[in-house]
Amino acid sequence: MHLLSQKKWPILIGLAPAIIVYFLFAIIPIVISFYYSLMDWDGFTKMTFVGLANFKEVFNDPIFWQSLKNNLYVLAASVFGQVPIALFFALLLNRKLKGGKFFRTVGFMPVVISTVVISLVWGMMYNARIGLFNQFLKIIGLEQWAQNWLGDPKWAMVSVSITIIWQFVGLYLIIFLAALQNIPQEIYDASEIDGASGLKQTIYIVLPMIWDTIIVAVILCISGSLRTFDLIYVMTSGGPGHATEVMAMYMFDKTFSSTRYGYGSAISLCIFFFSLALIYISNLILRRKTV
Amino acid sequence: MKKFRILSFLLVVMLLSLTACSGSSEQSSGKSSDDSEGKIELTFWNIWTDPSPQNKASLKQVEKFMKEHPNIVIKQQNIPHDQYKVKLKTQAAGKQLPDLIQVWPGAELKPLVDGGLVQPLDDIVSNWDSLITNKDYLKDYQISGKQYAIPANVTPTSVVYYDKDMLAKVGYNEFPKTYEEFKTLIKKLKDSGTIPIALGNKAQWVLQSSYISTIGDRLTGSDFLKSVLETGKKKFTDEKFIKAVGIIKELADMGAFNDDFNSIDNNQHRDLFISGDAAMMIDGAWSLGPVLEAAPNKHIGLALFPQVDGGLGDPTAVSAVTGTGIAINSELKGEKLKAAQEFLKAFYGEDYYKNLMKADILVPANIEPPADISPQLKEMAELTSKKIAPVYDATLPTEVTDIINAGLQEVTLGTMTPEQLAKKLQEAVDKQK
Repeated sequence: MHLLSQKKWPILIGLAPAIIVYFLFAIIPIVISFYYSLMDWDGFTKMTFVGLANFKEVFNDPIFWQSLKNNLYVLAASVFGQVPIALFFALLLNRKLKGGKFFRTVGFMPVVISTVVISLVWGMMYNARIGLFNQFLKIIGLEQWAQNWLGDPKWAMVSVSITIIWQFVGLYLIIFLAALQNIPQEIYDASEIDGASGLKQTIYIVLPMIWDTIIVAVILCISGSLRTFDLIYVMTSGGPGHATEVMAMYMFDKTFSSTRYGYGSAISLCIFFFSLALIYISNLILRRKTV
Repeated sequence: MKKFRILSFLLVVMLLSLTACSGSSEQSSGKSSDDSEGKIELTFWNIWTDPSPQNKASLKQVEKFMKEHPNIVIKQQNIPHDQYKVKLKTQAAGKQLPDLIQVWPGAELKPLVDGGLVQPLDDIVSNWDSLITNKDYLKDYQISGKQYAIPANVTPTSVVYYDKDMLAKVGYNEFPKTYEEFKTLIKKLKDSGTIPIALGNKAQWVLQSSYISTIGDRLTGSDFLKSVLETGKKKFTDEKFIKAVGIIKELADMGAFNDDFNSIDNNQHRDLFISGDAAMMIDGAWSLGPVLEAAPNKHIGLALFPQVDGGLGDPTAVSAVTGTGIAINSELKGEKLKAAQEFLKAFYGEDYYKNLMKADILVPANIEPPADISPQLKEMAELTSKKIAPVYDATLPTEVTDIINAGLQEVTLGTMTPEQLAKKLQEAVDKQK
């Protein structure tokens, strides 16, 4: 301990490896992509400086706005789907339920399955001809409800969102359960003596106690849904048309398949600033509630 | 105190060595050494990793060359296809390409040429005059009149596979000759309860590569794309092109495809055809092998997309792309250049094309087919050897290809009209200039 109080430089040396790695792989790429975003470059021929033309094009690109809209859609589905459902099940599992461990494992299962596997399996279930959902609807006589889930632009985003919700509920379930189990038994006892039980206890005692965890979960949700890529890439690859295109995927396509590194970098910077803004806003909103 | 000094010193050393690693040891592949007893060493990248018959034949050809030319050493790097393309693009950006580079035609080759990374083969191209008699096959690897590689194989991307028995059931013993008749056939098949055409367009390139490349050619003729891209005399907004897109829309609207055609992929559509759920499929020559293997007892007929009224194109033309070309690095000079040219001459020899044909692969060379190739391959070779039309994604810049890929899907969904797609494509082409 005396070492730390005497000199500061050993601390710096200790931190250096982590900081260098962080700079190399996180900060410098952001700076480089800012540089690229001012260029017109296909990766083979010479770069030419085009100023802010790439950004201008991004803002006038209807597909980019469509992908942003889809990102927000995923975000809404995650925040208003994953978090409440996870919270509900966590509260349920927190009671001394018979087979609680079993349900907990089942709930967590989707999180550990590879996204590609999930996408392929759900893709089959959504299939219009032989898929589970349409077959089921047919059997119970609701054939008119059957849809071309992934093939119809009206339904594709809904279908994808349902899968995303299903995939991540387990993760938040575990986080909430851990938070709930941190609440001391005495508080429950005390509140019960004061006459609060059931719903009242949940709303006035339990939720405020785990509010910080909920904020963390919401922020995880937001950043997670802005990064959405793999699931949609495998399930629909952005189709039909651009109905399920999300920002990360559009950036990938523009950069590596259309080989427009400059334009792709401009898109990724937009994603970066947009995510920062969103997280900042959500922080503001949620913080106010805690007071 | 002393202990800590030593510790921190050690840390610094470790750190320095860590960061130093990334700096050095980075100039291998690109340049090569001419030493080792006057031997000439050529580096060569290709994608021949998996043991497919074509890859085996290619590797054998390299070995044979080295045996016959003991003074030349070909140092290969075999890289899987998808990684290869990424590696090529990144190494090209850093000007670290090998001496010999496997290249794909058209839009994939053009940036390499524009970047001055590969050199033309015009000095030696006459070597193949007697072997590749149909000059159409060389066009894919030509950029502004210069030849950059020699193709090893030809891949027609748009062949109609049909189940002879299922067509006979609805009264067709022969494949319809015109588009109007083809539509009647589709209606009859639909009424009989089968899927007329199996299609899996989830990845979006199928409608472009296997459909519009040939259907477009039927209407616009084979010079259309060149004229649009180079001289600008023709435009995507031409009525003929719009009509070609309209045909795809018409097929989708009349229910010619399985309902889920936008959510399954091309392997799944092949399964639909093999299982007998669908009577036809329009697919590239690459599906012939898998279909024959999975359904040896099926009576499969092969045909080209029928003639369309008012079209400018030749109804015997089929969109095809050539492949497995090898380009020479533009930095090669003198002795090494000679060695590289020698290698190409020996590599694309008659024996190589014969070996490929034996492996059920169509080749651009005009050679007598070996007696033991499968009858279906023979049929395919005859059907597709008359006239070659360009494939859209091998001709268009990648940016434009992306637009037509997504656009055709939207047209089939009704969220975009053929006119809108044509306009969008023309705008993208204009922007490239």
